[in-house]
Amino acid sequence: MKLPLILLVVIAAASFAAPLVNAILGIDPNVVDLLDRLSGPSLAHPLGTDELGRDVLLRLLAGGRVSLVIGVAAALAAAALGTLIGLTAGYLGGWTDRVLMRGTDAMIALPLLPLLIVLAALDLNKLGLPARLIQSDEISVVRIVALAVLVGWTTAARLVRGAALVTRNRDFVRAARSLGAGVPHILWLHILPNVLAPLIVATTLSVGDVILFESVLSFLGLGVQPPLSSWGSMLSNAQELITAAPLLAVYPGLMIFLTVVACNLLGDALQRRLDPVTARTR
Amino acid sequence: MRFMNVFRENGRTRHHRRVALLVGLLAWGGTMPAGAAEHEALSIGITQFPATLNPNIDVMAAKSYVLGMTLRPFTVYDAEWKLACLLCTELPSIANGLAIPVDLPDGKKGVDLTYTIRPDAQWADGVPVTTADVRFTYEVGRDPQSGISNAELYRRIRAIDIKDEKTFTLHVDKLTFDYAAIQDFMLLPAHIEREAFAAPAEYRLRTRYNTDPTNPGLYNGPYRVAEFVAGSHILLEPNPHWAGPPGHFRRITVRAIENTAALEANLLSGTIDMIAGELGLPLDEGLAFAKRHGEAFQIVYKPGLVYEHIDLNLAHPVLADRRVREALILGLDREAISQSLFAGRQPVAATFVNPLDLGYTADTPRYRHDPVRAAELLDALGWSKGGDGLRRNAQGQKLSFELMTTAGNRSRELVEQVLQSQWRRIGVDIRIKNEPARVMFGETLPHRRFDMAMYAWISSPENVPRSILHSSEIPSAANGFVGQNATGFTSPEMDRLIDALEIELDPTARKALWAEAQRLYAAELPSLPLYFRSDVFILPKWLTGVRPTGNQSPTTLWITDWSAQP
Amino acid sequence: MIRFAAIRLVEIIAMLALMSFVIYALIGLMPGDPIDLMRSADPRMSAADAARLKALYGLDQPLLLRYAGWARQALAGDLGYSRLFAAPVWGALLPRLGNSLLLMVPSFVLAFTIALGLGTLAARHPRSRLDGAVNLFCFAGISMPTFWLALILILVFAAGFGWLPASGIATAGSSDIADRLRHLVMPVTTLTLVSAASYTRYVRSAMREALAQDHIRTARAKGASEARVVVHHALRSALVPVTTILALSFGGLVSGALVTETMFAYPGMGKLIFDAVMGNDYNLALAALLLATVVTMVANLVADLAYAWLDPRVSYR
Repeated sequence: MKLPLILLVVIAAASFAAPLVNAILGIDPNVVDLLDRLSGPSLAHPLGTDELGRDVLLRLLAGGRVSLVIGVAAALAAAALGTLIGLTAGYLGGWTDRVLMRGTDAMIALPLLPLLIVLAALDLNKLGLPARLIQSDEISVVRIVALAVLVGWTTAARLVRGAALVTRNRDFVRAARSLGAGVPHILWLHILPNVLAPLIVATTLSVGDVILFESVLSFLGLGVQPPLSSWGSMLSNAQELITAAPLLAVYPGLMIFLTVVACNLLGDALQRRLDPVTARTR
Repeated sequence: MRFMNVFRENGRTRHHRRVALLVGLLAWGGTMPAGAAEHEALSIGITQFPATLNPNIDVMAAKSYVLGMTLRPFTVYDAEWKLACLLCTELPSIANGLAIPVDLPDGKKGVDLTYTIRPDAQWADGVPVTTADVRFTYEVGRDPQSGISNAELYRRIRAIDIKDEKTFTLHVDKLTFDYAAIQDFMLLPAHIEREAFAAPAEYRLRTRYNTDPTNPGLYNGPYRVAEFVAGSHILLEPNPHWAGPPGHFRRITVRAIENTAALEANLLSGTIDMIAGELGLPLDEGLAFAKRHGEAFQIVYKPGLVYEHIDLNLAHPVLADRRVREALILGLDREAISQSLFAGRQPVAATFVNPLDLGYTADTPRYRHDPVRAAELLDALGWSKGGDGLRRNAQGQKLSFELMTTAGNRSRELVEQVLQSQWRRIGVDIRIKNEPARVMFGETLPHRRFDMAMYAWISSPENVPRSILHSSEIPSAANGFVGQNATGFTSPEMDRLIDALEIELDPTARKALWAEAQRLYAAELPSLPLYFRSDVFILPKWLTGVRPTGNQSPTTLWITDWSAQP
Repeated sequence: MIRFAAIRLVEIIAMLALMSFVIYALIGLMPGDPIDLMRSADPRMSAADAARLKALYGLDQPLLLRYAGWARQALAGDLGYSRLFAAPVWGALLPRLGNSLLLMVPSFVLAFTIALGLGTLAARHPRSRLDGAVNLFCFAGISMPTFWLALILILVFAAGFGWLPASGIATAGSSDIADRLRHLVMPVTTLTLVSAASYTRYVRSAMREALAQDHIRTARAKGASEARVVVHHALRSALVPVTTILALSFGGLVSGALVTETMFAYPGMGKLIFDAVMGNDYNLALAALLLATVVTMVANLVADLAYAWLDPRVSYR
């Protein structure tokens, strides 16, 4: 429990402290230096510079902020939405279940690509979003999170529903029902704890998935837009320099790896702590 | 041992050595792929697969590349940018009497052009190429239902006279300076395609180029298509009825590999022998490749007719002022971008006219990097620098623009960030807002919803800039948002020059008009010139005879000049 | 049970009708169209040409009208022509579908087999060195973007050793089966590694939970052999969540693997759907996407039926 948590905290803290690091080192990660491209590690640039002469370490930290925000926000929002839909469908059954589950199926089959392009071209002013957000660089992040949630909740929904279907006929739930417990009460206290285990695994897995999903979007040219960068976009940019500067890919790749490992170990630990069944075997 | 070569070092990127060494060790003991021994076969890698091979339907560089080897156009601009005959015997001119200017009933000037098809030209199934094919092609081109992409030339031809099997006369309704150029008249084989054209509206679905692309009767070039695997590759074999000098290669494979990193890996593995410049690596990637593996290949750089620039929306209240536009261009160090990102291979442009073009003049205003002068101009206009280094006017409004380009184009995204950085230094704030190409070209530019847009104009030799600079080509609700003058540039003088350029036949007088148009453009700066894009050809050492043209004619048109050195 | 399946089939059909409209509308809502792009690539194409082509392809008509036309034809069994491939939709689709299945089915089977094996092994020896190794494999697989794995495989096995062809489905002019198989090795490996990693995580976690349940302990106590306990009892109940995940991946068999196909220049369904959507090829995109929808929904139906078989506590009333 401790190790992965510490690792995650360190990665997150370093990423979110990026502006501070910028200030201390006196370097702006967005400033281009055409005379110092692809240079090796030095005192001024501990990890060297990229193809525009920007400090790789600082960009890695700044990219981490974007990647982590996207990964965590999308994974949590998707899990919450999925759980809500899955619980409702699995417990209530009948028509509610049918409609919700067919909707889920449809969502899985829905083509992402046109959705993305439509999202990219949507006139956000008409949606009533604040102008400051629309004009900011971060708007591409919001788009990606929205998309990741839109496609991500289905896994959680099906998992939770599957587990809810099993649980709702168990004796303790029947007992609670016969004692006159309300639906929200039953869902919250009896069903949810029993579906938590697979849900947590799925959610921790999906943090990594979303970070990778973002890199695929970058690969297709629809990811985070410059001057913002993320680990995913750094990775997909680096593929064109794979023979010239392989390390440019190794750094963000390593960060993604560490984050995924940390999230998954954390998930395992949480599962052990939360799940009454598996806990007993220890 | 090929791999060790692949990751050969050269000082500059020393810190990557360890990784390279690791990968190299991993591959130690690797063998060289066989098949390169005799050089009787050539495998070419390109980044796009042609959707159709029908020469008149759809516009696609991949198609022109393959058709260069399999289908002869009548006329073509060669590597010297001179118009030449390929399928015809002689270019018509007023001097040789094959072009005769005529007065049309409506008072305009037309021209009658007489061409003769090469007597030995044959389709690959042995049927001679005749004027019957000319008549058929004209019929298809004229039909609004047939789905021809570029029907401009067919519309201009009022009538066709067939003299005999090989000779015909076109009656064209406009006498332009480039009257002899008819490369848009791509000949179709009547004996094969007639049947598919029975119902014109169905032609684009029934054309044999789609339904039966390996039919030899569809091709009249030095090669014909022998195998067509959609999305993967096209195999070409010599046309047995080709009467010209034969090509050296007995088999040519064109492979489409969209991802450029994978394309490079394919080249290194020997799956392909070369990467075409027309549809290959972007320059920055090509330079990085050359640095690593340059010694194993022949690398040719050719600046071309693709003009990278930044369109400024002249309807923007601040950008409408010419002095602001001048300050913007003075604030840019385009020379530094060209030198460091593109190793000087991509010359800085002064205007939209390429230095190789006949109409080019060096006598235009030039804007070298001059941040001091830029600052003076902006100060004089009331944009003064604040504590945060950005400029504001008296009302407190920030001097800030939105810069957009096609999302996912890595090369442009890099340049964009350099521009942002450079303008920031003269106190101009730039917000980057990129869009997918289809959104930008289909929606944002036509509706002129942008401040600054970086993209390229593709042109041809002596291409009159009507569509981009004439005031009648400004997209608006009134004309249904067609037209490519997205900056909204309006100048009666430019309109006059464009109208005159199109019909001026005398080369000297035309050159003067061209010079005037360039001076006007450089003075007014409706868009900021960046550079002319360069193509990178990565060829095997043994390949000879590939001559990049720098214009729209693909190198493959001269495939019979290509050969292998032992 | 039969009633349940019948109702589901009706729902699937209703859903398909709805989906067809949603997909059509989504493609229609995408700003810009391929003809504008065509124009920006050819300086000699005039505005009149663009307008003529748009009218010819019906792009100037309102969306609803176009959809109604498509639906009428589709109900009559005619899916129309693909604009991009200038061929009947099925003619354009089937060869690609074949290519895709050739790629997806082996990697799906391989990945699932690997996942069952590794996942069960790891679950039986929790916190052992073996469990750690399996975990490491999973993390590496999960955090490796497909395009990177593909690129590294090409660089090592095609450019480095020269053992395998770097791209395509076959050597030009060859119709040899061995040649086709050689071209499949790297793309299948890529897909297998990537999906095996995340399947293994699910199997492992489901197995651990299953092994801890009461009836397993009862079985053990009764003296059933370890193999029987694992395969017969634990695996069966562990398959419930695993089936869910598998059913979710089933649509992928038909919709292909865009990134892998792009990297290996392999003409499959992923690339076809991408090109069809980007090229506003409504007929082709709809046919391909609806096919993927049907497969996804049927797979989910099968999965739901399988729950009842795998776990007697699930009932369908």
